[in-house]
Amino acid sequence: MSGTTDIPESEPAERAERISMLRESAGRFCAAGEHVKRSRKLRGSVPGFDREVWKQMAGMGWTGILIPGRFGGLGLGSMEMAAVAESLGRYLLPEPLVASTMLGAGAILYGENETIKKKILPAVVSGDVIPALAWREAGHNGDILAASAQAVSSREGIRLSGRKHLVVGGMEADGFVVSARNDHGLCLYWVPGEAATAGLAPVELADGRSAATLDLSGLRVPGENRIAGPGRAEEALSRAFDEALFATSAELLGVISSAFAITLDYLKTRKQFGKLIGCYQALQHRAVDLYAAEVTCRCALDEVLAEAGAPDIRAQPRGALASRIKARCSRASLVVTREAVQLHGAIGISDECDIGLFLKRAITLSAWLGGADFHRARYAELADEEAAHA
Amino acid sequence: MSTTKQHREENWNALGDDAFRRAVRAFIEERYPAELRFLPFRPPWRELKPWVMLLVEKGWSAPNWPVKYGGMGLSPGKLLIFIDEQERWGVARAPDHGIVQVGPMLIQFGSEEQKRNVLPGMRTFETIWCQGYSEPGSGSDLASLVTEAVADGDHFVINGRKIWTSFALDATHTYLLARTDRKAKQQEGITFFLVDLSLPGAARRGIKNIAGATEYCEMVFDGVRVHRSNIVGELNKGWTVAKSVLNFERLNSGSPRRAQFAFERLRALAQERGVLGEPDFRKRYTELRLDLADLKAVYAYFADQVKRGQPLGADVSILKVMSTELNQRITEFMLETAGDLGLVAAGERGDIGRVDALTPFLDSRGRTIGAGTSEIHRNVVAKRVLGLPAA
Repeated sequence: MSGTTDIPESEPAERAERISMLRESAGRFCAAGEHVKRSRKLRGSVPGFDREVWKQMAGMGWTGILIPGRFGGLGLGSMEMAAVAESLGRYLLPEPLVASTMLGAGAILYGENETIKKKILPAVVSGDVIPALAWREAGHNGDILAASAQAVSSREGIRLSGRKHLVVGGMEADGFVVSARNDHGLCLYWVPGEAATAGLAPVELADGRSAATLDLSGLRVPGENRIAGPGRAEEALSRAFDEALFATSAELLGVISSAFAITLDYLKTRKQFGKLIGCYQALQHRAVDLYAAEVTCRCALDEVLAEAGAPDIRAQPRGALASRIKARCSRASLVVTREAVQLHGAIGISDECDIGLFLKRAITLSAWLGGADFHRARYAELADEEAAHA
Repeated sequence: MSTTKQHREENWNALGDDAFRRAVRAFIEERYPAELRFLPFRPPWRELKPWVMLLVEKGWSAPNWPVKYGGMGLSPGKLLIFIDEQERWGVARAPDHGIVQVGPMLIQFGSEEQKRNVLPGMRTFETIWCQGYSEPGSGSDLASLVTEAVADGDHFVINGRKIWTSFALDATHTYLLARTDRKAKQQEGITFFLVDLSLPGAARRGIKNIAGATEYCEMVFDGVRVHRSNIVGELNKGWTVAKSVLNFERLNSGSPRRAQFAFERLRALAQERGVLGEPDFRKRYTELRLDLADLKAVYAYFADQVKRGQPLGADVSILKVMSTELNQRITEFMLETAGDLGLVAAGERGDIGRVDALTPFLDSRGRTIGAGTSEIHRNVVAKRVLGLPAA
């Protein structure tokens, strides 16, 4: 597929080195920003994140990790993206980096409109354009390919209709990739932000961030705004979806890792009955199970990313790997953050305690793009197709 | 003789991983008895013996030992492949305590005389070894053991009972821990002995387990006289020897193979019962399938450390806990899936169903108990990995 990222042909050791450098710099950047405090303050606001921080992230290259060098990006892979995304989760950054760059920019990148790629992707990399993908509709049960929004051609261009939900990053987006059907099948269209403004309404998410509902009625775009036609649109969406699943899983691992570390620390400082509560076996064993859940997510993520990074991997095995890891991290993040609240006792259910923020981020990210049940079913379907194919 | 073996070692470790894997696979697939594949229990020694003798003959019975002791001298990476291929084919475990436990301990702590006298028979399975650690009153709290060895000239006289000893009925020898200094602190007065089970005063009794198999035993030592040359390591330092369980054994006790076997049986049962396509079944089945896939990723993470020659940390305990608990969840689901066929005693199924759901379920109960209970392993991780305080 043209638009494939251009991962440098480097030795595994070099790549590991590069990933660990990215991980470290992401960790340093995110640790320095008091983002948990910022996330807390921004709750309920629109858009719920800072354009200023977005620009800084672009300065680090994060908005173009998967975007090839010819569009100004780093041209790296999902492993590198995961190294950064984990820090986003760990320090609870509210910026929709995964939604915007994996889904929005990804759909453009894997589409077939070179003019739009050349125009939009460099601006995504520089942080000047924040794209969002509008795919979700009511009643479609999470299937990213199941759009029923309509695209009708006329002399004035393409008239869109339908309603899109849960467009993460949508309230601050400078443009939208919209999935809609014409007579031939599923297509993707680029809708500039100013054209969409009238149809936008915010919706607050469980973690206090915002998403948008986008009403497409009355929207017209010129024919050259078509990003992908039938066939290619499915491929582009599936690939962007899978890459977003990998990155979101890494972000969830960051949430898990922080929630567990904070909780472990609490068990070692809180005293009751004259003793540190972490000395009680009942709590120790629960802590061990959370630790095991974190280790499992990490090992599975590493394995899945290594397998998915194989050159020319086909859509089915890639989708199976993406669903496998999203199912794992979605489930584990809910278990770990819920248990973290319980182990904190009364302080854990107060709004002032940060552990609740991690629980709510886990709720949001684990449900976004499909939770454990959805992805187990998708995994089974894709893995069985793959087995039949083999 | 030693020249050929030297030659062999160079061959094995110099071979590429894929070539080595093919060689191992070819031999196993050609020679391993089909009726012993993927058994839900350990087969009796008399049934497995012909296969083990083939390995002995080929020089493959002690893959982990150095060549100078008759082993294959495999590098950690090659050894993992060797184990992996056996698991893949469903090869049953031999009574291999001599190979995996005592042999490496002797090589590390034993005297030259012990190595010369004991290792050859161990390698050829002329001697079969079992572990004399647990006692009726000392299970998880092993250091509280009371079996006593009292010095009498050049001999020690052993009195006491050992229990839950796997393979003891097939064994010719045991390696046991006995108290040699009652005044010392618990772990410091214990000595490690090699004991010939044909000595006067040594008796064994099989214990039928919950699955109906006589897999483990009780051993009684009533005034058994053992020459002091059978002490491994120093007097009163047996705890150090026993604790030197090697990387491989720690990895092996967390191997996902039993969960894998159980899962394959679950699939066969589901096919037999025609429920593979039912949504309720499929949902739980897929959850277990993914749990298994991710458990294997955790195993691969620890195996990779072993491969690179790094010592495993206390965190490997979670692998054993997860593997054995997943095995149980799979066998529990299998029993549910069997429906009313699950109530039929193993071996009595006749023509109402071929897949035995009961034996794997019952067998899985003991896996979270033997080789350290899940609770003990969680205690270890809590203290040594997470740094949680002692009560």
